[in-house]
Amino acid sequence: MSSDVVIRVEGLGKRYVASHRTEGSGLRTRFAAHLKEYLPMLRQREEDYFWALRDVSFEVKRGEILGILGSNGSGKSTLLKILSGITPPTEGRAWLRGRIGSLLEVGTGFHPEMTGRENIFFAGAMLGLSQREVRAKFDEIVDFSGIEEFIDMPVKRYSSGMYVRLAYSVASMLRSDILILDEVMAVGDSAFREKSQKNIAKAARDGRTILFVSHNIPAVKQICETGFILRRGKISYRGDAAGATATYLREIQQISDFAEPQGPDRDLSKAPRFDRTDRVILRRISMFDRNGRPSNEFTSGDRLTIKIELDNHDVQEPYFTIFFISETGERAMTLYSTHQHYKAPRGSTIVECAIERANLVAGTYRLIVDFGSFSMGQFQSMDCVADAITVTITSPVDWGPPRFVANQGYILQPATWTTRQILAMENN
Amino acid sequence: MNSDIDNSFIGSTEEHLVEAGTGGTSLGLSELWQQRELVWIFTKRQIFVRYRQMALGIFWVVLEPLAYLLMMTAVFGTLLKVNTGNYPYVVFAFAGLMPWLLFSKATTAAANSLTDNMALISKVYFQRLLLPVSGVIREFFDSAVVFVILVITAWIFGYPPTLKLLLAPIILTYASVAALALGLWLACVMVPFRDIRPLLGLALQAGMYATPVLYPADLVPQALLPYYQLNPMYWTIELFRWLLLDRPVTLTASFGYSTGAVILALLTGLIVFASGQKRVVDVQ
Repeated sequence: MSSDVVIRVEGLGKRYVASHRTEGSGLRTRFAAHLKEYLPMLRQREEDYFWALRDVSFEVKRGEILGILGSNGSGKSTLLKILSGITPPTEGRAWLRGRIGSLLEVGTGFHPEMTGRENIFFAGAMLGLSQREVRAKFDEIVDFSGIEEFIDMPVKRYSSGMYVRLAYSVASMLRSDILILDEVMAVGDSAFREKSQKNIAKAARDGRTILFVSHNIPAVKQICETGFILRRGKISYRGDAAGATATYLREIQQISDFAEPQGPDRDLSKAPRFDRTDRVILRRISMFDRNGRPSNEFTSGDRLTIKIELDNHDVQEPYFTIFFISETGERAMTLYSTHQHYKAPRGSTIVECAIERANLVAGTYRLIVDFGSFSMGQFQSMDCVADAITVTITSPVDWGPPRFVANQGYILQPATWTTRQILAMENN
Repeated sequence: MNSDIDNSFIGSTEEHLVEAGTGGTSLGLSELWQQRELVWIFTKRQIFVRYRQMALGIFWVVLEPLAYLLMMTAVFGTLLKVNTGNYPYVVFAFAGLMPWLLFSKATTAAANSLTDNMALISKVYFQRLLLPVSGVIREFFDSAVVFVILVITAWIFGYPPTLKLLLAPIILTYASVAALALGLWLACVMVPFRDIRPLLGLALQAGMYATPVLYPADLVPQALLPYYQLNPMYWTIELFRWLLLDRPVTLTASFGYSTGAVILALLTGLIVFASGQKRVVDVQ
């Protein structure tokens, strides 16, 4: 056990009484559900419960900025609430070393009737700062918020921007050894966000350990060093922040691991469908190069043809959308069919989509194919395959980096460069 | 065994263990003492917030009980002519009403403290015992103001203040502790069962008539008196009238029993609260 570890979580789990059994039902059911909460001997069946978090174990080292990703209901908030001491776990344990400051909401303890000044003192106290500490940092807080002239006004008169800036400024003064932050980056304008990001980075440089939960994937990528993904209450990925954000992006788009090789021709009949689509309309997808040969390896700028076989029985005005997803999980390119006002014949058809120049940077892309009806300006998805096919693009010699490099954009645009000497005459 | 996280600053080497607890639990009293500054700030804020938006502001502290007193005097003193011996009805009733209102409001404040502060409880950790305690302290402060008016009123009616008044804080604390005990019992159960709120209002109303607030205890049948006297508020009010109006009071065995009951209720209330508050976020 390294002495550098400041948070150790072992087999943490949190169970709630399943709320779908209590809501909207009659008085007796509701009463029984509440009684079960209080009288453990009444609870016997496992289906009375729902596990918001289960078997979660991880360690965090001093000075680490850990990003926690996960969709709504994945257990992120529950985890932070347990670590903050707001709610006890049902099983497992968490050990934390150092003073803990948690910020699960911006503006906790703010009261609209109180002035900015009064709220600073109160919110500071709620966050665990002594009044002496708040007094010492008062000017710094006001300065950070940038709303000095309104400080003696009740916060109910503040604009929402001013309100969150003041609230965040109080919280940013938390100087705990462990900071637990939930969705704090969502506040203020971009300048203020940048300021608060720097503030978090500085706190970590000072040796503070930060747990950072956000839906803002770029922010997690930028601020955090390590990260994990929570999925239905379990850790589904643990690694560095870049890996976690890329995996998370792929996960929410339901794209599997990139390592798995795929050919230029795929049967889609049994491929996993995206979320709600239950119909199987898309049958097969294949790719061809400029000579009409099956291939899914191209050089940037090549002609690329995608053929889709489908059984369309009832869609009058169909649309296709093809997304190219990069290795980092971001959407690099989108192909729409709507501009062609395409009308498909009923029954089994083959649709061909040709790109004259696939000007993508080198890398491997996953294709999401979406099919549906487009009428009156409304898209309605009928069948969507999240992980339809893979395409690998290489750069032509001397044309940019030969392999995918994150944060270099996705388009490799050929340009014409001309050079001409400036003559002395022209300068005058 | 189950030590919760706290935000107090001991040093960077402090350790916290969050565990699925089945065993013993701390009452949170030492943590509350560590967070006493927060108790004070919290109480102060609640007092401010309550009166800030009212045109008459802090005057409501005395306006409300005085209006109540006038109504009671009109009905029980003037219309029904309740026999209060040599004591003018207004002073007699005021001396009962003031401690009763403290008890009633403090009980309500403590019982509602968790429900009213749910937003705070579910977002930040602090010793939750702070909430009912601060609710009771707030009402104690309010009633201190009313107490001053009461002393002046008594003086006007010919009962000048004596050194006995120094005992008033002790008697009021006794009533506050009884209120806290009752509030602690109810606070956690109140969260899932909001029905308790109106029920408590009714119970307190009934309690006022079961206590010699608006009438003297002599009206109660002799046989019932030992039971009637088990009510801690009976003793609070009788003692209050003794120290203000020099009205004689005899301490009986019931005084000992009711004091014992208050202490027992407080201890069990603390235990009930300590174990209930942990789950309170989950059952809201």
